[in-house]
Amino acid sequence: MIRSLYILGQQSNVIYSKEYAKSDSRDSLIEFLVNLAHFLSSVNLEGKIEYMSFSTARVFYASRQSFIFIFTADKADDTAQIEERMAQLVEAFMKDFAALAEANLPLEGLDAKVDEIAVTMVKVAILGYAGVGKTTTLHLLRGETLPLVHDPTIGVSIKKLPDEVQNANIVLWDLAGQSRFSILWAKMIANAQVVIIVTDSTLENVLRSKKLVSLVTEEVPEAKMIGIANKQDLPTALTPERVGQILGIPTYELVAIDISYRDRLIQIIRKAILEGKAETKPIPA
Amino acid sequence: MPQAVFVVHLDDYQGFIVEKRYPFSFSLNEKLLNLIFYEHEKEEKESLRYSEIDNSRIVSFVDRSHPRWMACFVLSAQEDYEELKAEISGMGRLILELMIEDPKTVHLEEILKNHSVLEEANEEQRYAQVFLTPSSALVLEKIESEGIEKAAKLAIWLRTQVQSDSVDLREAIFPLMNSGLVKVEVVGNVTETVFLVKDVFAYRAPPVDAITRAGESMPKLAGQYQERVAEFFTPPPPSRGYNPTIPSNDPNSPLVEDREKIARVVSRKIEYKVLDSLRDEPLTVKQISEKTLLPGEIVQNALLSLESDRVAAQLGAGVWALIANPVMESFMPEFVLAMIAEKLSAKEITREIAKRHLEILAETWSGEQ
Repeated sequence: MIRSLYILGQQSNVIYSKEYAKSDSRDSLIEFLVNLAHFLSSVNLEGKIEYMSFSTARVFYASRQSFIFIFTADKADDTAQIEERMAQLVEAFMKDFAALAEANLPLEGLDAKVDEIAVTMVKVAILGYAGVGKTTTLHLLRGETLPLVHDPTIGVSIKKLPDEVQNANIVLWDLAGQSRFSILWAKMIANAQVVIIVTDSTLENVLRSKKLVSLVTEEVPEAKMIGIANKQDLPTALTPERVGQILGIPTYELVAIDISYRDRLIQIIRKAILEGKAETKPIPA
Repeated sequence: MPQAVFVVHLDDYQGFIVEKRYPFSFSLNEKLLNLIFYEHEKEEKESLRYSEIDNSRIVSFVDRSHPRWMACFVLSAQEDYEELKAEISGMGRLILELMIEDPKTVHLEEILKNHSVLEEANEEQRYAQVFLTPSSALVLEKIESEGIEKAAKLAIWLRTQVQSDSVDLREAIFPLMNSGLVKVEVVGNVTETVFLVKDVFAYRAPPVDAITRAGESMPKLAGQYQERVAEFFTPPPPSRGYNPTIPSNDPNSPLVEDREKIARVVSRKIEYKVLDSLRDEPLTVKQISEKTLLPGEIVQNALLSLESDRVAAQLGAGVWALIANPVMESFMPEFVLAMIAEKLSAKEITREIAKRHLEILAETWSGEQ
């Protein structure tokens, strides 16, 4: 996935930058990028897009006129796909934003364009206590047959959603709900754009789940959070409105064992992703 | 020798990625990776863990400076974990360090066969950590001027210095305790006190051993080598050269800045291993590679980095040598004796605390002289 991108101007000044994922080696990467930008300002790439490896990342770069474009992506990514995205961005920038940048005017609309081109992967974490139906929700989203025997998740189970949202792959992280695995939650929800808090709609579980809302607010404040009031077919279930009031987040009803809820749930996630994108601000240059 | 080895990275988006494995046919599953990762998360520090999962005996290594990375070794039924512990830690440390540096250079089969290891941080490297943690360096300076101080008072002082309530004295003091520079004890069941036990001096020493050996083993290059070292330490005027013994109270003094640079060089595990190999004599990349069991490419990169920090230089014909030997040395802080006496007479500390400080100094330094 594209982890960050930078557009530099004539004096190697950063005109625009955005980071989609935090990296462990961010500081050394930035140092490397500063040197790379300095080097690129003195060579002619003849319109080509090139790349080089840096630790576990791959750095793609191109230049047009006085602008330098840098993408950082994972080594595992398809280079042709990243090059294609970079070419799209270069073209879009030169067509609609280069003149504005040269005149030092605000680059309105660039952020949305960048998201449209660069977001290749969206992480959706499914969080909740044991037995509330997280894995069943995952199966529902993937349109899979439900297993007959309950098999508690160990650590985390990671699966892709078959459907894409705006050309981006959705990766679902189904986190184990057993309390012994709670030490993993903070680490596992890092960089999630959407966190789904699943409850079984009982008062006890919903009250307990408020802790999860606090955890997400603290660990990934920029993530969009949605609540799921699962097991609505059971007589003891609180209404989704009541669950939402207690959790303090938008909450939707669900019967995860009922396939008819699939499309509705996907729409909810899609909406959350789009809303999250709209709220995301680029890091200041 | 372990039957198999694999390196796992937990990516925020894609989950567990097996970055390398040997043999290639060795199969893994998500549950196994989850369980290994979970075992490590229970413990905060660098650790080695032994687990038996799905009939496999797995030893995994995690280094907290590279979170989300694990080097895992699969033992055969006959292998004794206790016997292999030290070697596996060393191999794990090396594998993770190389993975971060340049994954292309990691050849698991060779590491296993050669038993290549990276040693645990030594005393010098632990001292370096003090200067790489700004709040620790600040606390060291304070305790150097006080000799002895109550932890609570030090915590308030630190918060004022950094103008933040969130700064944690325990975190700032950890590198100082870990390197043995200070000791924290509760004296008289009431007062938690910080004692200065050792002081540290970071400087670049002339590489005397390497120059002497060069004179014996490569006389043709020895003259040039001596000139390069002399150029660094005593260049012709008006250049001043490098002299760490000139005291400077200026916080922007190049020597203070250089201390941080020395600390950085010493703390980088691979660079330090290469640097250490050059302390005895000048060597070629190939010789360093043989001596350290590090891949040639990695050695080359480390040398270039040492060159940019003005630590190593190429003498010609591919021979590399130290032009300055970064050293971090501890010494007994004799100056604290006067401070203890003064504080005792001013009743800032009790007799019990003063006595305990002297005992700690005696325990630490008796037999060292």
